[in-house]
Amino acid sequence: MADRWILRLDGTALPEKTLIGGKAWSIARMRALGLAVPPAFVVTTDACREYLSSGSIPSDLEQELDAGIEWLESGTNRRFGSSESRLLLSVRSGAAISMPGMMDTILNLGMNDEAEMALARESGLPAFARDTHRRFLELYSNIVLKTPIGEEGSDVNPASLRERIRDAGHDMPVSPRAQLSHAIAAVFGSWNSRRARRYREHHNIPHDLGTAVTVQAMVFGNLDDNSGTGVIFSRNPLSGERTPYGEYLPRAQGEDVVSGRFTPQSLDSLRISAASVHSELLAATNLLEKEHADIQDIEFTVQEGRLYLLQARSAKRAPNAAVRAAVEMVAEGMISIDTALSRVTSEQVRSMLFPRLAEGADRDATVLARGEGACPGVASGVFVHEADEAERRAAKGEAVILVRKTTSPDDIHGMIAAKAIVTEQGGSTSHAAVVSRALGRPCVVGVGSVSALRPGVMGTVDGGGVVYAGSLPVEAPDEEHDPHLRQLIEWARVRSPVAVLRPSGAHEIGDRRSDYVDLDAQLTAVDNSSLAAVLKGMKTARGAILATPEAARQAAACGVKTIVTEPVLPALLAMLGAKS
Amino acid sequence: MDERDLVLHGLAIKRHATAAAVADAIGLTEGAVSASLARAVAANRAMEVDGAYVIAPLAGLALEARYGLHFGALREDAGFCRAYAAFERINRTLKNVITDWQTMDVRGTRVANPHTDKEYDASIIDRLATIHEQIEPVLAQLAQRLQRLGIYARKLQAALDAAEDGEPEWVSDIRRDSYHTVWFELHEELLRIMGRIREE
Repeated sequence: MADRWILRLDGTALPEKTLIGGKAWSIARMRALGLAVPPAFVVTTDACREYLSSGSIPSDLEQELDAGIEWLESGTNRRFGSSESRLLLSVRSGAAISMPGMMDTILNLGMNDEAEMALARESGLPAFARDTHRRFLELYSNIVLKTPIGEEGSDVNPASLRERIRDAGHDMPVSPRAQLSHAIAAVFGSWNSRRARRYREHHNIPHDLGTAVTVQAMVFGNLDDNSGTGVIFSRNPLSGERTPYGEYLPRAQGEDVVSGRFTPQSLDSLRISAASVHSELLAATNLLEKEHADIQDIEFTVQEGRLYLLQARSAKRAPNAAVRAAVEMVAEGMISIDTALSRVTSEQVRSMLFPRLAEGADRDATVLARGEGACPGVASGVFVHEADEAERRAAKGEAVILVRKTTSPDDIHGMIAAKAIVTEQGGSTSHAAVVSRALGRPCVVGVGSVSALRPGVMGTVDGGGVVYAGSLPVEAPDEEHDPHLRQLIEWARVRSPVAVLRPSGAHEIGDRRSDYVDLDAQLTAVDNSSLAAVLKGMKTARGAILATPEAARQAAACGVKTIVTEPVLPALLAMLGAKS
Repeated sequence: MDERDLVLHGLAIKRHATAAAVADAIGLTEGAVSASLARAVAANRAMEVDGAYVIAPLAGLALEARYGLHFGALREDAGFCRAYAAFERINRTLKNVITDWQTMDVRGTRVANPHTDKEYDASIIDRLATIHEQIEPVLAQLAQRLQRLGIYARKLQAALDAAEDGEPEWVSDIRRDSYHTVWFELHEELLRIMGRIREE
């Protein structure tokens, strides 16, 4: 009998995203590729529209849910709501277009006192079972009942949490089946949350699209010694090297990896303990990278010797990894040159070319202070302890380093004027850290005492976290010396509407012509706000400022055809309309 | 607070600001603020460079000395203090969200967020919106005792709306009234009202 409201994600069909939402769609796609994903079904957007118009869950949906649960049970050899091997579920919203204001994921649905005991016996970890129970109650209360009751990290017992929910005037269903119906209704209801409506109105998304609900079996990586959890990257996300890189934690759940309470092992430990799972994982990783043509970041769990892929997405990566992978994937025939260029931003290239201390420069240097590096880069200047003074001296052309106990909005003009910033107090989330990153100024925070940074004395700040005495030699890496950057420059030059040349190869260009301007030779400093006026009518422009993507874009908009600056790649990428 | 001190107070929070920016911050007309700033400059209580004003150091100290007089009742008000404490609690989360907006964790290494991953950015703006939902009742409580503070709720909402509508610069850009800029000015305002010193 064909279901009316539910689709089983068994990989035999790939329904429209508008019907099943983005999340279910990617599960269906992974199943279709033959990959092991925890069994799941989806309640379609048709059911949502029916719910929104009638105000209640259609009665035949309840029957279909029963059948869907049975299907999940047979796929997992577990039972929802009874027996020793408990089936627990995750419930998530999923519209064709992701939008704010939609309901968050509920994990471990089906949990109650009996399920807690069953999970404790099965895993031999009563504390874990208790914690799972508590977190489920918190999530359910927070998300479905919209009544936050939990205190993070506390070890309140479930009975008193239920009492608190009752006291707040809500009914916390004990029956797993009732929990599921309420959760699905809550997802449907969130479609009409104020934020979701506002977002749709602004983006011209019809209000009657509706959201789907994905219901998926939970898997546990801590049930026995043949279980575990981990992450794998199809390439190293720090270097870009084409070697799968990952971490594995035997007998653990995903949150154990995130919490940092346990030290994960390398993937080799999985290869040694379960060679077939390891090779299945590598094959899946390879397949997913080919399918998405990008570096994949994959979360997986091994439950009782069986591999399950939980999530695969494009990996976050460090700038050099972005550059290397983009170039190498073109050579591998995986992506086009245009795609490669779109995957590298001007800012990423600039950060790879940040000045750094010259080789050996720190060997005999005196360290004046150490703290937490908040923004990378190296700069030298005179220590100045007041923002007003920093601004005054910088205006006269002096390089200054702003040193403060902490910074506040009062200090922003001084931070803009300074070459680098040092604070006595604060961590990576402090105001100084936030503002320095926004400005791209090397910054060290929380050095403890700034007494060694005496006003008027010259010093050097290494944004990695050290302040040195004196002006140390710095060197800026040359884009031409990096084979991957050189390749990107070559590709970008062919595609850029504006020629971008290095000064060393362009001594004569534009000289003595009326449509040529050298910005570095202007009497008053040119900044982004005065740039358009200076560039008007010019065909060729030279100047350091043009290496920044904003200035380069402005130059192109003013009709400039040739830019002479260094480095060239950030400007070239900006010309391509590359995201930056 | 009388108009003279209110304008100086606005100037202390928005340093190097035009009369228009100060007026916007404290909810007076630009004309009134311009006139007041002109008097402040004449009396050496403020300085002007290219249309931007700064409070004179001594005038700043004198203003802070008068805060006890202006805000003494608020500092004793249990409801206001509770709301202030709630702000400080939420402030810790806000700082983490802004840091996650600017930087990402790549296997234990923080790297700058290149803003190429729309999903990642959307998830952060989503967290910002959750913070906003938490701060709204707090701002309402603050504004109940000091009506002028309602301006911050309006500006925060505007920044969040712009960020959600696809202009991510409104999250933390320091050269506009981004969410972070307004939040920080609000924090500065509350610290001054309460007579506290910023911890970091």
